[in-house]
Amino acid sequence: MDAFSNLATGFAAAASFQNLGFALIGCLLGTLIGVLPGIGPIPTIAMLLPITFGLDPLSSLIMLAGIYYGAQYGGSTTSILVNMPGEASSVVTCMDGYQMARKGRAGAALSVAALGSFFAGCVGTIFIAAFGPPLAALAQQFNSPDYFSLMLLGLLMAVVLAHGSVIKAIAMVIVGLLFGLVGTDVNSGAVRYTFGVSELWDGIDFLPMVIGMFGIVEIIRNLEEKEVDRTAISTKFRDLWPSASEFAQSWKPVLRGTAVGSILGILPGGGAVLAAFAAYTVEKKVAKDPSRFGKGAIEGVAGPESANNAAAQTSFIPLLTLGLPSNPIMALMMGAMMIQGIQPGAAVMTSRPDLFWGMVASMWIGNLMLVVINLPMIGIWVKLLSIPYRYLYPAILMFCVIGVYGTNANAVMMILTAVFAVFGYIMVRFGCEPAPMVLGFLLGPLMEENLRRSLVLSRGDPMIFLQRPISLTLLICALGLLLVIVLPNVRKSREIAFQEGG
Amino acid sequence: MLRIRSPQDLGAGLVFIAIGVAGVYFGQDLTYGSSSRMGPGYFPIILSYLTIMMGLIIGGRGFALDGPPIQRIPLRPISFVILAILAFGFLIEQIGLALTTVAVIFIASAAREKFNVKETVVLAIVVAALCVGVFIYGLSQPMPAWWGR
Repeated sequence: MDAFSNLATGFAAAASFQNLGFALIGCLLGTLIGVLPGIGPIPTIAMLLPITFGLDPLSSLIMLAGIYYGAQYGGSTTSILVNMPGEASSVVTCMDGYQMARKGRAGAALSVAALGSFFAGCVGTIFIAAFGPPLAALAQQFNSPDYFSLMLLGLLMAVVLAHGSVIKAIAMVIVGLLFGLVGTDVNSGAVRYTFGVSELWDGIDFLPMVIGMFGIVEIIRNLEEKEVDRTAISTKFRDLWPSASEFAQSWKPVLRGTAVGSILGILPGGGAVLAAFAAYTVEKKVAKDPSRFGKGAIEGVAGPESANNAAAQTSFIPLLTLGLPSNPIMALMMGAMMIQGIQPGAAVMTSRPDLFWGMVASMWIGNLMLVVINLPMIGIWVKLLSIPYRYLYPAILMFCVIGVYGTNANAVMMILTAVFAVFGYIMVRFGCEPAPMVLGFLLGPLMEENLRRSLVLSRGDPMIFLQRPISLTLLICALGLLLVIVLPNVRKSREIAFQEGG
Repeated sequence: MLRIRSPQDLGAGLVFIAIGVAGVYFGQDLTYGSSSRMGPGYFPIILSYLTIMMGLIIGGRGFALDGPPIQRIPLRPISFVILAILAFGFLIEQIGLALTTVAVIFIASAAREKFNVKETVVLAIVVAALCVGVFIYGLSQPMPAWWGR
């Protein structure tokens, strides 16, 4: 079977001493920062991005993927022990995980979360290996009009499935597309919207933007809130194993969660958060006694934790095969690949199979590392929680600015960072999430290029988007999606899906 | 009489309109071209008008639908954090990473109401040592450790 020989190539590439090391460092750094309160995976990755730039592309991506899983893992640890979700997809874990901890079953909750995640991670890896190549083969047949329609659909799905106001998210995407066009137009050489700043000729740098809008805004928001007491519930290593009955209760939710997560992860905009919420809803629906949920039901930990990890894995599929980032974290991954000189998409699989398969393999390795290394280290992670935020944030701020400066040693970059921080902060206050803007920002130049090529092909006739079957199908999906969100009852159930237990 | 019912929507709408208008205004010198030969101004102008349109819809909703108020914006955290970022940009080439770190940590710490000098001194020294060690000696980032390079 082809997929297996490919996976073997991947494992050979990922299992080099150096790459194993970077996977380990990534997992540890990710967990470390994921455990720290007030920093979710997006700022974590944004902050640590610069560290990876000196590495070769595969090592850098392996490390970033490790940071991502690590941050998620760290997030669930704090959810269970302190009732503080380190990141959005662990919000659900808080509900039953923390209650389990209060009943003295913290160890069981942690290990079920870890083992469920590991299982989901394995399935997710197989998913990518199985679905990656056919999707990439499909993508090879895509032409400019098809790509344009695909990006349109992808962006639309990303805003619909993410939480927050849809219309504001669409506006943010458009603003992002516009910001993506700043700089020299590749086709004509004309400079656009640079206001005489030569640093903008190559476009707005990715890092000042994401660090400003995610890292810095997060710091400011945390500073505005009162510091909360974060005393963790103590666990001992010997309590880590779930009892036989707990195990029996959780294997089915793990399977269901994995299935829900794998499917939702592939959809643009799906990702870990939606998967976790959906899995929790599923568990509550199939449970014989739904009233146990919220009071420490182990199914409420096993399902969502498996789902968010499965989704975290499979959300790589659209990025690696279609070049479409499906959520902000994938947007960061895409940014990282582009800085490394790789344009994500189907071509990667044929031109750099070691890169694609190496990354797939490293995901599995990373998940294994998290289980093996982190369960025994829970004590240390918990200690980290007691560091007060007033010591943390100046250091985090420092790492953020060094990160931006390290990739482009120029004072203008700091001004850009500050500008985006203020802009992002104001938009958050107006109820607009910054994530859709980053998706638009990355896709702006690509959309323009594909639009231009399509219209050159058709001599300016926009009907070309309806004449090509692939493009037409994608556009019909997009239109259907638009219609669906306008319908009131769909809108309502979307809101419920995100508010479940909130 | 129009009444503002959702200040967040109105605010967001105004920002979007402003961005769109700026996009049209500063993009007016760019060649628009035609559909078959898109000029550098083609896509930006379309997007700018779309932004204005979205701004009008969102801003209009501010008068039509009830929404949450805008949370009070405490000025202290945001101003000191922004100041710290800018200070880094202006100081790093002048006095090097070690001293810049100390300055940034001090400014950043002042973002909180309760500013403790002793604690901040210790924190500044620790973080400065860490940053110089990790980023200059460990990762050889392109910045001076000390002044006068």
